[in-house]
Amino acid sequence: MTAPAPGEPAPGRQRVVWRPDQVLIQHDAPGLSDLRDDTSGGRLLLRSFVRAQLGLSLMCLTFALTVTASFPVIAAMVPAVTRITVGGVPLTLLVLGFAFYPVFLAVGWFYNRHARQLEARFTSLVDPVGRRPDA
Amino acid sequence: MPDAAVGAIAFVTLLTIMVGARGIRVARTPDDFMVAARQVAPALNAAAISGEYLSAASFLGIAGLVVVRGLGALWYSVGYTAGYLVLLLLVAAPLRRFGAYTIPDFAVGRLGSRGLRQTATALVLVIGWFYLLPQMKGAGITLQWVLGTPYWVGAATLGVVVSCNIAMGGMKGITFVQCFQYWLKLSAIGIPALVLLIAAGHRSSPNLIPDHAPVFTHATVVSMTQATGFTLTRPAPATVTGLLDQRTYQDQAVSLGAGRHVAGAGTRIGFTAGAPVPVSLAMEPSSSASWDSPFLTSSTGGAHPLAATYGVIIATFFGAIGLPHILVRFYTNPDGEAARRTTLIVVLLLSSFYLFPTVLALLTRMQAPQLYLSSDSDSVVLALPGQLLPGLPGELLAALVAAGAFAAFLSTSSGLLVSVAGALSHDLMKRGVTTFRWCAITAGAIATIAALLVVRFSLALLVGWAFAIAASSFCPLMVLGIWWRRLTRIGAMAGIVIGGGSCLAAIVSTMLGAAANGWGAVLLGQPAIWTVPLAFGVMIVASLLTQRTVPANVSQVMLRMHLPEALSRQAYRTVGQASWLAPDRRAPGS
Repeated sequence: MTAPAPGEPAPGRQRVVWRPDQVLIQHDAPGLSDLRDDTSGGRLLLRSFVRAQLGLSLMCLTFALTVTASFPVIAAMVPAVTRITVGGVPLTLLVLGFAFYPVFLAVGWFYNRHARQLEARFTSLVDPVGRRPDA
Repeated sequence: MPDAAVGAIAFVTLLTIMVGARGIRVARTPDDFMVAARQVAPALNAAAISGEYLSAASFLGIAGLVVVRGLGALWYSVGYTAGYLVLLLLVAAPLRRFGAYTIPDFAVGRLGSRGLRQTATALVLVIGWFYLLPQMKGAGITLQWVLGTPYWVGAATLGVVVSCNIAMGGMKGITFVQCFQYWLKLSAIGIPALVLLIAAGHRSSPNLIPDHAPVFTHATVVSMTQATGFTLTRPAPATVTGLLDQRTYQDQAVSLGAGRHVAGAGTRIGFTAGAPVPVSLAMEPSSSASWDSPFLTSSTGGAHPLAATYGVIIATFFGAIGLPHILVRFYTNPDGEAARRTTLIVVLLLSSFYLFPTVLALLTRMQAPQLYLSSDSDSVVLALPGQLLPGLPGELLAALVAAGAFAAFLSTSSGLLVSVAGALSHDLMKRGVTTFRWCAITAGAIATIAALLVVRFSLALLVGWAFAIAASSFCPLMVLGIWWRRLTRIGAMAGIVIGGGSCLAAIVSTMLGAAANGWGAVLLGQPAIWTVPLAFGVMIVASLLTQRTVPANVSQVMLRMHLPEALSRQAYRTVGQASWLAPDRRAPGS
């Protein structure tokens, strides 16, 4: 045995050449099959999506609850609010009878729009059109 | 008066039976009966859901309660609508994708346990019957008011019509019936409200000024239908015919002093314009001066109004999720996205409807304050048109209101009875169409008999209690089951039993008259304020303590609930593996 020439691996060692495409093949982005087969990547993906959906729901819920459920507290702390009349009709009646419904509709519309967008983004992330077998 | 109203009620009932009977030819399998084979468009489905949801409490109860108890009762209509918003935000789409028929199906499919199915089924029966009682009561007092029949005749009529209709037609018929019922109900409350509003004209009324006791805006004769005790806030001249304060008058002018008076049945008292409106003793202690208070005090003897109001807010906001007859409807949507669209339309339809009870209550306060004297708040809406518009127009409007009210009882009790009979036949007995029919008839008979015991509770209160039980049992089950993968069957069972059980116990003790005032009355009369957090807390803690029993298939189930339709279709097509995705079959474990 002679000493290795410069550039050659030491005895007992092997030369390894890094090829960029190798890495890409082995660590593919999790996709539909990962979700279905419940791999760790798929589970993480689904968990983050569910968390995003829940965050959106809770944000909308908090807003709607704050708008409606704060009224009794305000009325209890500032009783003058309940004595206000608008055009001969008590403010309390206008608020409880009419004002909350547009808020509910707006929140519901906002939620539907954003939930659909979240789903569309998740769909294109998990199953890009270019990766489908028939595309 | 009676002729037009009787005709209208008979017409509504016959129409319901006929539209329902069309379903007989369509309904062939148990699937048809249960969810109308899942082929209903969102707009139609939304109208059907709303038609089913708007019950006697919405139609008669809220306006009457606002008139008698004050503006705080509007929290009921706000909460009934908000309940659907909460349902949209938290459960609509995932629940539809899950693809089970009933709450017990959901519990078993998600957590896999036979004991849980039986507990959930028992609770469906409790909530369903609790909700059926006010419908029967509404029918009883409506027929009593229109025909003068005894209370039980109306309740029994409704029970027979609804049980037979469902036993014959099932759900397929009911979807059309419910949709028709929504529009009927909207016009039956909207048209009278608008006509009376126009007839009233734009006039500011002294009765709307905050902190003022109501006065008669024009000379009014008050007829007592029964012996009534009342108070006057200040002296008033009056013309009396009949028995008053143990003396009999014959069209005589009397000066009534401030304070308490007792009038016999049939007594007529004529008041001049500007005289104070007498306050019925039955209505105290919620005095008429606090009419514009935004708090709800009706069931709690006036104690701790803020806590009582939040009790109703929590119960109604979170109760809709757990109502058994509402969830069944969601499986008639084709997919999760359609379920969301349907729910938003429902919020719109409910919002439109609830504008009108408010208008009717406002008109009563302005124009016919003597209806405060009525000892049963639930008949105020029926009496209003006749008071404001004398003659034929008033009669016709009253007939329309009575027909709409009957539509409300018919549609809600139909939906409830389908769920109750479904739970009985599907979960507790041998499945099949014949069993379903017999269960429908049995369940209707039990509800009719029980309705005879609840005459003294207001409709909105009874329905509010059904919401409270649902909010403290099924609501945490659905919300945690959909969003929290660590829920276990032991945790779910503990939460349902402790939350729902304590809520039911509180309500039953209130019905038996356990605590009449103070904190006891609030916490027992509006229990949702503590039972809903309790149910969530118990469910979470018990689940964390039993993490070893988390179901093995939780990832698959979460995937089925949350995977968007575009992806599940794609996976279905490329893999050809139908079992975990096909949302149109029964849930696993059932």
